[in-house]
Amino acid sequence: MIRVQAEDVNIGALIEAAKRPGTGAVVLFDGIVRDDDITEMELEAYAEVAVAEMEKIARAATEQFRLLHVDIIHRIGRLRVGDNILIIVVSAGHRPEAYAGSRYIIEEIKKSVPIWKKELTKDGGRWVPGEHGHGAGKL
Amino acid sequence: MTVKLRFFARFRELLGTDIIVEPHDGTLLAALVAEVARKNTDGYAAIFDEQGTFREFVILMRNGKRVETAEAGTITVADGDEIAVFPPVAGG
Repeated sequence: MIRVQAEDVNIGALIEAAKRPGTGAVVLFDGIVRDDDITEMELEAYAEVAVAEMEKIARAATEQFRLLHVDIIHRIGRLRVGDNILIIVVSAGHRPEAYAGSRYIIEEIKKSVPIWKKELTKDGGRWVPGEHGHGAGKL
Repeated sequence: MTVKLRFFARFRELLGTDIIVEPHDGTLLAALVAEVARKNTDGYAAIFDEQGTFREFVILMRNGKRVETAEAGTITVADGDEIAVFPPVAGG
């Protein structure tokens, strides 16, 4: 499942569904709204392109790390401190591939998926700067 | 012809989004973005520098595919195009 959506997800159900035949390891990445002296966080996506790019990343990770299953759910809309932002579930035969595949996916998402975050504070708000100068690599 | 412009994040706050325009044949992509951006001084200044060139960090897409800003002055828009303009991504 590769999605951009406002709703939260049932992480336990995703982990169960990731246990495909041959699975020896499931790795979950759960990115969470951190309390950086903010009230809420507003997330915005170029949804069609974001999903297409995450599908491309999932295919590349599956091939490179021999993953058996990949879920990527990136939330949008207004989130509170402690809410889930990004859930990545991968399964593989062994832990090195599962860990490496999960790490690859999050780093690639940060480079190229058109999603933006605005931290809302008591005094207004501030857009979180991208970690990569250009982002949205060659699509 | 009709073309849709979509701005995101800070650019959306300044200029709006899902803007439908009706450019004449032969309109260049860069000129179209500049024309729409000019309706808001801060929005224009966020995207273009003093020389009217796209700022280095601005990302352009045409129909979901990346277009180098340096080439946007040579590409003509076509009927039904969706042009997206946004700052560096910050998801995850």
